[in-house]
Amino acid sequence: MTSDTLRDAPVRLSVRGLAKSYDTKRGSVPVIADLTFDVRVGEIACIVGPSGIGKTTLLKCLTGLQSISSGQALIDGRPIDGPPEEMALVFQEYTRSLMPWLTVEKNVRLPLNHLRLPAAEREERIRGALAAVGLAGAESKYPWQLSGGMQQRVAIARAIAYRPEVLVMDEPFASVDAQTRFELEDLCLRIREQFGMTIVVVTHDIDEAVYLSDRVIVLGERPARVTEIIDVDFGGARDQLTTRAVPEFAELRSEVFELIRKAG
Amino acid sequence: MVFTSSIPARTSVARRAGRSGTPRWVLIGTEVLVPIVLLALWWVASANSTNAFFPPLQVILERLVQLVQTPAFLVDVGSSVGNLLLSFVLASVIGVLLGAALGLVRPLAWFVEPTIHFFRAIPPVALVPIFVSLIGFGNETRIISITLAALFPVLISTMDGIRGTEPTLAMVSRVYRIGWFDRLVSVTLPAASPRILSGMQVSLITAFVVMIASEMLGSSTGLGAATLLAQQSFAIADMWVGILVLGVIGYATTAVFTLFRRRVLRWYLASQQQEKNA
Amino acid sequence: MRVPLLRTGAGAAGAVAALGAWQLAATAGPLADSPLPSAADSIGRLAGLFATPELWRALGDTVVMAVAGLLLATVVGVLLGVGIGTSPLAMHATRVPLEFLKPIPPIVILPVVVLVLGPTMAMGVFLVFFGCFVAIAVQSAAGVFDTDPVARATGRSYGMGRGEILTRIVLPSALPYIGTAIRVAAPTSLIVAVVAGLLGGGPGLGQSLLLAQISGDQAQLFAYVLALGILGLLVQGLSQWGERRLLHWHPQYRKEAR
Ligand SMILES: Nc1ncnc2c1ncn2[C@@H]1O[C@H](COP(=O)(O)OP(=O)(O)O)[C@@H](O)[C@H]1O
Ligand SMILES: [Mg+2]
Repeated sequence: MTSDTLRDAPVRLSVRGLAKSYDTKRGSVPVIADLTFDVRVGEIACIVGPSGIGKTTLLKCLTGLQSISSGQALIDGRPIDGPPEEMALVFQEYTRSLMPWLTVEKNVRLPLNHLRLPAAEREERIRGALAAVGLAGAESKYPWQLSGGMQQRVAIARAIAYRPEVLVMDEPFASVDAQTRFELEDLCLRIREQFGMTIVVVTHDIDEAVYLSDRVIVLGERPARVTEIIDVDFGGARDQLTTRAVPEFAELRSEVFELIRKAG
Repeated sequence: MVFTSSIPARTSVARRAGRSGTPRWVLIGTEVLVPIVLLALWWVASANSTNAFFPPLQVILERLVQLVQTPAFLVDVGSSVGNLLLSFVLASVIGVLLGAALGLVRPLAWFVEPTIHFFRAIPPVALVPIFVSLIGFGNETRIISITLAALFPVLISTMDGIRGTEPTLAMVSRVYRIGWFDRLVSVTLPAASPRILSGMQVSLITAFVVMIASEMLGSSTGLGAATLLAQQSFAIADMWVGILVLGVIGYATTAVFTLFRRRVLRWYLASQQQEKNA
Repeated sequence: MRVPLLRTGAGAAGAVAALGAWQLAATAGPLADSPLPSAADSIGRLAGLFATPELWRALGDTVVMAVAGLLLATVVGVLLGVGIGTSPLAMHATRVPLEFLKPIPPIVILPVVVLVLGPTMAMGVFLVFFGCFVAIAVQSAAGVFDTDPVARATGRSYGMGRGEILTRIVLPSALPYIGTAIRVAAPTSLIVAVVAGLLGGGPGLGQSLLLAQISGDQAQLFAYVLALGILGLLVQGLSQWGERRLLHWHPQYRKEAR
């Protein structure tokens, strides 16, 4: 897939003037002021911004877990008012998002039960997803027997096996080691290629944002607004060594870095 | 505060930590010897007892051996244990189902909660005379009183446990659109199971108490009735046998349940441990 | 603001509905011919009982047995628990006996206690004591045992003696455990005091229940059960309030209670 075909692809996710405030005991607290951006079919969009700016809140609005205060979030033109069928979310609190009473394999299987897949395909998806995140052989372990990074990979495997059209991830690679992080980033690129998934990732890592994205959305100010949307034109095929070595990579990363620093 | 850390757990920590200068073998030796010494003391001190209330342990044990061979005694034990287990299982099943319904349907809980808490505040043994006066002295009375008394602890803890479910897990269920049955069986109930099983433990003890009470209150079958009858007819050794056997039943049922609980909650105990170490 | 109001309303409606169902069942339903007294009769009788000295005397006896037994259990339990918690030797020595006694309710030994002490107040007090002291001892031991070793070491480095460390550091940090154990034991003490009257012939509300049952006075029996429910709620409420009141300053308690 080249950048040009991506730019012409239809819009899958559309955020239009989205605002969100939380109702607390001390009244209504605005977190997101006004966000507008699009994500096209097959794109990877990274959302970056200082901590506490409302990135998790935005993802919860996009996945229909939180109501939107004003504006709209649309998937394929339909307003999102509950978790859409074609979406999956990898939670930031990965330890708390796994069922500690289920084995790794059963955690991945649970969401597949209601999809009514042929048995062979279901087993293949579970096996494939666990292998893809490097957890083949850990099927019968329990989450609490695994390290933080491995638990995170179980959560990612669960989302991949679900085969959503839109995969949303909240700081998914935060607690894995550098080597695994590179592998998981490439896994992202691969599943996008293979299944045409649209992927939205919140990340703290600027290098990661530039390496993965077709579009980096920088959030700033409190309550949050879009500071800048940066297009990244490395195309579909990327490589940890060569892509990171091109001069544009360095330029983009310092641009994003500057923007975040101003935003914080 | 949760009563998780058990006596054996603490004891072994104390041994490993080596808090006092006492060597390990002395500690373990004491642990094993004390119960033996206590029993021996009872044996020796009561050996020539002329006190009518405290016959020699030897006499009590001999009587136990005799009684175990009589069908009447075995029928009594069977009836008591049968009622206890049947009522406990009934109370657990009904309590979990009702508690789950109340935990999931908020307005329903609002409607019945104050009433339930009032029932729970009534000392469970007070239910026995009510059912005796309404239904008579039959075995149904005993089963109904035990079941009803044991119902409230499971019911309330199931309700609380389901309400306290980790919100992230509820969100996971929503995002992945997990069906209601899977959600109940694979998410909600397991998440509530630590609370549910604590409630069941209380229910088991309540059931045991009410079982004895229901037999002592004007019934003629069951170990409780036999023990009280022995006391009233001054068959003191028989009374002591009844007390010992009841004690063993109480201890054994709790011990078996504790093992069961530890097995079911392996994931919970292990992840608690993980958190503590982290 | 509206939800709590709705909630209280729903709860009150539920209680009224339950009473209504009771009334209907006793007067019109299939149970009309059974000895079940109506709600109105039972509540009326309860109101009448409040004007009689019998109820208050029985209530007083029950409360005295429960409180005296609980106090005794607290004193003995805490002393024993502190001993066990500070000495690994004592902990090992008491492990098997305590573990055996813990799940055994006092009703098991009721026949022999009645035999020795007779159907008296002392019998009730002893049963309550037996029903509460093991749990209090075990929890006190846990509280003492879990005292932060750093706090102990700090005490030692300031030159505190053993006694001073015990009273100024160990006991205060064990207090939430002890407080919780007493709160949990309070309803138990009430239950056991009723058992002593109902099955042991001792004085108090248990005996009143038994007499009402024997005389076949259904309304009276239900009135006493209602009175016991109210007393149970009071005991629960008071012990929770007391625990919060006495321990609100404690950091650990604050964390746990949230
Ligand atoms: N449920 C909630 N109720 C009230 N405030 C919340 C809630 N969740 C998050 N917030 C607040 O919203 C802000 C943004 O939080 P979050 O979306 O988690 O930020 P980020 O993911 O960017 O670090 C924070 O100030 C946080 O305290
Ligand atoms: Mg976040």
